[in-house]
Amino acid sequence: MEFRIATDELRKALYRAQGIVERKTTMPILANVLVNAGKSGVTVTAFDLDIGIVSDHPAEVTKQGAVTVSAKYVFDIVQNLPEQFVTLKKLPNNYVEISSGSAHFKIVGMAAEEFPKLPKEENAPLVKVAGPVLLEMIRKTAFAISSDETRYILNGVYFEPREGGKVRMVATDGHRLALVERELAGDFKLKGGVIIPRKGLYELKRLLDEAPDAEVQLGFAESSALFKKPGLTMVMRLIDGQFPEYQRVIPKESDKQALIPKTQFLDALKRIALLSAEKSNAVRVGLSENVLRITSNNPDLGEAKDDVAVTYKGGEITVGFNARYLIDVLSAVESDQVAFELGDEHSPGVLHQPGDRSYTAVVMPMRV
Amino acid sequence: MQRAILHVDMDAFYASVEQRDDPALRGKPVIVGGHPTRGVVLAASYEVRPFGVHSAMPMSRAVKQAPHAIVVRPRFSAYAEASEQVFEIFSSVTPLVEPLSLDEAFLDVTGSVTLFGTPAAIARALRERIAREVRLPASAGIAEVKFAAKIASDLAKPNGQREVPVGQTREFLAPLPVGRLWGVGPKTEETLKAHGLGTIGDVAAREVDWLVHRLGDGGRHLWQLANGLDDREVVPDRDAKSVGSEDTFEEDLEGKAALEVHLHSQALRVARRLRRAGVKTRVVQLKLKYADFSAITRRTTLETPTDDGQVLYRAAVALLNRAPLDQKVRLTGVSAQDLGGAEQLPLFDEGRGRTQRLNAALDKIADRFGRGAVVTADLAEESAPDDEDDEARRQAGGSRSPGNGSPFDR
Repeated sequence: MEFRIATDELRKALYRAQGIVERKTTMPILANVLVNAGKSGVTVTAFDLDIGIVSDHPAEVTKQGAVTVSAKYVFDIVQNLPEQFVTLKKLPNNYVEISSGSAHFKIVGMAAEEFPKLPKEENAPLVKVAGPVLLEMIRKTAFAISSDETRYILNGVYFEPREGGKVRMVATDGHRLALVERELAGDFKLKGGVIIPRKGLYELKRLLDEAPDAEVQLGFAESSALFKKPGLTMVMRLIDGQFPEYQRVIPKESDKQALIPKTQFLDALKRIALLSAEKSNAVRVGLSENVLRITSNNPDLGEAKDDVAVTYKGGEITVGFNARYLIDVLSAVESDQVAFELGDEHSPGVLHQPGDRSYTAVVMPMRV
Repeated sequence: MQRAILHVDMDAFYASVEQRDDPALRGKPVIVGGHPTRGVVLAASYEVRPFGVHSAMPMSRAVKQAPHAIVVRPRFSAYAEASEQVFEIFSSVTPLVEPLSLDEAFLDVTGSVTLFGTPAAIARALRERIAREVRLPASAGIAEVKFAAKIASDLAKPNGQREVPVGQTREFLAPLPVGRLWGVGPKTEETLKAHGLGTIGDVAAREVDWLVHRLGDGGRHLWQLANGLDDREVVPDRDAKSVGSEDTFEEDLEGKAALEVHLHSQALRVARRLRRAGVKTRVVQLKLKYADFSAITRRTTLETPTDDGQVLYRAAVALLNRAPLDQKVRLTGVSAQDLGGAEQLPLFDEGRGRTQRLNAALDKIADRFGRGAVVTADLAEESAPDDEDDEARRQAGGSRSPGNGSPFDR
């Protein structure tokens, strides 16, 4: 294997691999990327047994072949090369020579044959989707994914095609839930919803962020998802299991509904949470006629309160919440105003854009 | 606003429980304590106090001073049960009950006056109810501030009550020795006396700056107390820092299996008290005291707050597994720290409701038939700590039949 490639191009390929490769693994080869020089160019593959990306890059290939090298070290090297072009050459015993201008590196590699095979691209019906919409959906739900490894079903986002070309994405950590429904025209041919794992979702987001307007395609096979954009393919294993019946925990419309200026709500929460009891982020949120009052107290520090002028006519009510959960939602909302619905002090609070429930967040109270 | 604070303190609590449960001990000098040579006096009945026996004194000295006294091994489960009953009576007049230990508490009855009569009448009613329902003597102090209420109950003992009249806290305190002031230890007392301040009244009469100059910031606090200024509020159990249960064993124990039984019993006791106080905990602490008297504590933080004894027990056992056990253990303790923190409610129930209902049912059974009515299998075995207590009790000369296990014991 021998090829010459633009340093920037190789850097991009290795950057894409950084989020995937496993550094702490019992399989050392998973810390490597597979570099494959073919007739038309070079592909760089990273795979952690659950998520794999294959990225295509133009190169002048003088000798076809493949080898694996450390994703991290070669990325560090490539970031510090002197010239705009770099040559990679496989030496005997899987050594790889990296040359750029006067700089030369001889790197220990591992045989390409030892690199685990990615799942075959099954006949997943690919659907052309709008990158910005997909990105928005991820941004509005990903924060609610559970990081508790023992609840692996919740370690991802539920992707559920609905009628009329709409798709719902739902994430919950058992304390709060975020649901967004958007149009992603096309038929995914799914029987029900699937669960996309957190890591895969974040990689997807990273790839979309690279060029949000690029044409992208998404598809699902039995147990995996496939994502394509020009020059790149990502496959990932889906989380196998039954997502909880999320509809049951979304309350019906309440008459205790306030219209709140979002930025003021957000800022007040951040301020008042500073005095919440040890790391709990617990605040009390009270509604009375046209006033939203947020208070907190910490036995060791003192107490805090702030009022926000709102539109509210329901009865007086005060409910405890984890301010972090409300802040996460408000940070994802674009509208100037947000509707906040409460039931009683043991019932969830609901946030959505006024008159629009296509993005709805449900937050369980705290007993403060 | 003018406050009405009660300090209610059980008289010779452990000893009184023993006398209540064993008629043969009534009117006799009783010492509750552990091992006759290495333990300390946990409680001394009023009959033995004239001989200079008081709690925290080494047992060896106590039996020398009062050789005629009847020494009784402690039955902590009986004390815990009596304590729970007493606190239940407290909470019937006000939610503002601040426990200081198993047998004493501050009660803020400011808001109870319209319902239950004057503070003194409330104190009398409480003491009568405790005497009738728990059959134990209690004393009470009534004052506008905590500090004076505590002194007043002390002066009223045994089985009495004393009221510091409204507006006369300063006059009440003035003749008392400075050692009565909270925060005055032997060293400060010496300093104060060296400057001619023998009574609380002397301290009150000094310039506050003089005290601050000699004693630092603590001086200001002493001056305020001496003048009857103590604005500390009664902080109910909700805000208590921890709830714990620990036992010193008759004989040092060896091996995890022997300790686990005790941890289980302690975890269940702690959980019951948490539920009674309506609080949950996220931090579980294990305490071990070894044969050489060295002690360690280990703590862990739970994912979600709990008031379930089994969850506490599992956490305690996990801590035990990581604790060194290369020598015998003389004491174990389980405590719940960081109480009353905000509890995040779950979106999905996931069986939590069932545990809650189970615990509520068990609590009801325990309230009605005693805590031995339903126990877990490991605790029902002969080596169960509660039985051990009874065993010790019988060896100590008591005649009460072991009560655990029989629902009709009470």
